[in-house]
Amino acid sequence: MVDMLLMILAGVGVALFGFVLQTSIAGVNRKIVGRIQKRYGPKWYQEFLDIFKLLSKRSVTHGWIFDFGVIMALGGIIGTAMFMPITSSLMAFPGYDNFFIFVYLIAVGMLGMAMSASGSGNPLASIGVMRALTTMLAYEVPFMIVVLTIIKLTGTSSLSELGILQQAGGDFNWFVIALPLGGIVAVISLMGMLGKKPFVTYIAPAEIASGPMVEYGGKQLGMLFIMHEITVFIEVSLFVHLFLGGAENILFFIIKYFAVYTALNIMSSVYGRLKIDQVVLFFYKWPLILAVTQAFIAIYLGWVI
Amino acid sequence: MTVELLIILTLVLGLVSYFMGRFNKVYGAVVTIIASMFVFISVGYMANDILDGSTFNYNAVKYLPVFATFTVSYLGIFFAILVTFVFAMVSFFNPFFVEKYKYPAVYNMLYIFSLAGVLGVFFTDNLMVLFFFFEFVVWSGLFIIPLGKSKKAAVSYYAFSTAGSFALLYAIFIMRDVAGTYNLYAGLASVSGTTQGTYVMILLSISAFSKLGAFPLHTWLPAAHGNAPHPFSPVLSGALVKLGAFVAILALVKLAPVGDLQSVFGSYTDATFLYASQYAVAILGAMTIVFGTLMAIRQDDAKKLLAYSSVSNGGYILVALSIGGSVGLAGGLYHIIAHALASAAAFLAIGAVSRVTGTSKMSELGGMIHKMPITYMVYLIAIISMAGIPPMGGFISKWLIFQAVIDNGLILIAVAVFFGSIGSFLYVFRPLAALFLGQELPQHKDKAKIPPFFMLLPMIILSLLIVYTGVFPNYILGFINDVMAELGVDALVIGKYTIQGPNGVLHPTLVASVFGVGVLIAFIIFIVLKKSRKVGLMDTYTAGNFIYTEELMHYSLDFYAPIERLYEKYINITEDFYKKLENKVVDFGRMVKYFFFTNKPEVTVFWIVVIIGFLLWGDL
Repeated sequence: MVDMLLMILAGVGVALFGFVLQTSIAGVNRKIVGRIQKRYGPKWYQEFLDIFKLLSKRSVTHGWIFDFGVIMALGGIIGTAMFMPITSSLMAFPGYDNFFIFVYLIAVGMLGMAMSASGSGNPLASIGVMRALTTMLAYEVPFMIVVLTIIKLTGTSSLSELGILQQAGGDFNWFVIALPLGGIVAVISLMGMLGKKPFVTYIAPAEIASGPMVEYGGKQLGMLFIMHEITVFIEVSLFVHLFLGGAENILFFIIKYFAVYTALNIMSSVYGRLKIDQVVLFFYKWPLILAVTQAFIAIYLGWVI
Repeated sequence: MTVELLIILTLVLGLVSYFMGRFNKVYGAVVTIIASMFVFISVGYMANDILDGSTFNYNAVKYLPVFATFTVSYLGIFFAILVTFVFAMVSFFNPFFVEKYKYPAVYNMLYIFSLAGVLGVFFTDNLMVLFFFFEFVVWSGLFIIPLGKSKKAAVSYYAFSTAGSFALLYAIFIMRDVAGTYNLYAGLASVSGTTQGTYVMILLSISAFSKLGAFPLHTWLPAAHGNAPHPFSPVLSGALVKLGAFVAILALVKLAPVGDLQSVFGSYTDATFLYASQYAVAILGAMTIVFGTLMAIRQDDAKKLLAYSSVSNGGYILVALSIGGSVGLAGGLYHIIAHALASAAAFLAIGAVSRVTGTSKMSELGGMIHKMPITYMVYLIAIISMAGIPPMGGFISKWLIFQAVIDNGLILIAVAVFFGSIGSFLYVFRPLAALFLGQELPQHKDKAKIPPFFMLLPMIILSLLIVYTGVFPNYILGFINDVMAELGVDALVIGKYTIQGPNGVLHPTLVASVFGVGVLIAFIIFIVLKKSRKVGLMDTYTAGNFIYTEELMHYSLDFYAPIERLYEKYINITEDFYKKLENKVVDFGRMVKYFFFTNKPEVTVFWIVVIIGFLLWGDL
């Protein structure tokens, strides 16, 4: 019982770590993107200021489902983050860092947010939710096929074990190198997951008034900001553990994490925005073909670099 | 009580409910509650008794003809408990809907008759008795469905069910021919692995596909489920469709798979292959998943949407059963439970809404959550399970099915399985957003109210069970292990709380409690911050436009228009095929009429004599 409580406390610690890490790195990235666009950009702790300001403000609510959805969204995401290993040996619940838990438990949070946004009664929010779900349908399938290849090759779906297998070298290189086509697909899918341009369609500022977020303000918006930061932490960490050899220690984790997130941001800042049907068509064309090809090559022909 | 007595008593209760129904509509419907609760409790008692190792002979036959034999198997109990439970839960809805039917007494009787038929199918070991009860269920359904919205749906249901029944009958004939007996187990064992076994497998699969609504025999299911009376849709989807799964288990697990690909391709690669028959069924199952998902996304009627989701979930069951092995089979059996509970609960929730509003079209509804919050929560829990999200039952089964798919390296099937899984988020969210959430439409504002207690009770019980199957699945998985031992499949490795898959461990209780901790933290954050001011739903950001009508602010029609546009050209392919087939049959009928049934009776008589002579020739 005490063990369990300690594990849960550790899990909360992981979620908190993820929040602080991602919020700081997001702040640094705002500066980097600013420089790309020939601006100075805000201070690196600007994101923290935004969130705490929002949390302290008095806001409006559109009924109990509007609030309940926000709680469910943040709760689901915190719950998911608690399972995330930080390094390949440091995690709250050893042995239970199953890949599918992340993919599906994260969906509770998404569902909560979608529910809350629809509950606001604003059609712009509903359009945003529709686009978010459609985008999810697009990027998830190619990504899952690549992960299927990895799980089939290694025989494990535990993130930390996958990290250790990649670090040990021998049979498996970092999977972004060992499965080059799959690595490309994973990067593209990650951009979709994070809603980076060109897949920014569901937020689409200036087109559908920020989509799902349109009605929020004050503490609800602040909580959704926290949720967003932790979601990004989960998704980028998944990529690090699955494709970049996990992390031997916490420093490596932060370096890899920073590198991935910054690279995606830099790539993102040179694209425009796709329409939602273009997003679907895009993902069901090249990424899916590449993913399936990679899976066939790796599983049936055994060609792994 | 023996199985025989139980079935006879159920039939008698059916007649009682008919006469009660003639006397008073509502009393007749109450008899259906009593009857189905009684059957459920009896089956539960029987299961409990057998699991305790009782020696009481449930199979004894005293009153029925001598060929009607029964065998209580674990597989039979598994299905019977589930299906009678769904019947028992749904029956609570009957008294509230019975006013709306043209023939309420008949509805009550047939409701109980189909329950009796289901019991017969699951507990008999005689093939002809199985066929009889199978048809009995089809006939009962045939007369219930037209009491709903459409007569045409019943015709389509009957046509496809007949195709399935005939396939079953031919399979029975082949087994009788080989085994020399009508015994189910002897018949299956004698043909397994032989050439006749292949035919039997194909025929039984056709039967299973038609019942389960799998591609390409799926077109009847959405019409029938969508148009049936509101309390009968959950029975169709949660219980009667599972007859197809039962037949599928006979075909795919009891019969050895055919077409050894491992010996053909195995030397070229390290990867392992399944048998050709397994691939064939899995591919059809995968196509069912994709078709069901794409069609569900574009429905406007919430009941039709759920019906297409039943099609898609039937695909999951087929994929899991065809892959087989301990993980695949356990996943398939668990999915049968998870889907039965979730779809019954979802259909009941929609039924409760339609009862007060008179429609189940999403474009005509909105904001029901404000008057029916409990119904909303029931629907929410049901769809979380249907989409396979923890901590609900659907996650456990989907996790097992994914493990089986990945472990066998089925890449293309995995595309369909993942697509269906993500696609289900899309379609189950639609009724949630359009029907329950969004603007509260004025035309329903006064009518909508919390349903009566006896309608809430079954919905709440179902919801609790959905959560239970998701948090503590191991008791049920232990029972599934008994079923699998009977089917000759290795047991799934389960700990006290954990489930061991081929490439990972799942601890559902931990997942659920961690989720709970997360929600608790979020709730604490929410509650300590400043309280929000409540504003109306029309008080929203409209980018400077002035809008005063709720309809204009409610986005519910063509919700996924951008993605629907991508495939709407191709949706009618199967329907068109059946239309063409229908025209061909009609043409053929005209031709027969032209040649054989002319105005001259002597020509007709001549042909009748010739044909009878031809048919008798073989025996002479």
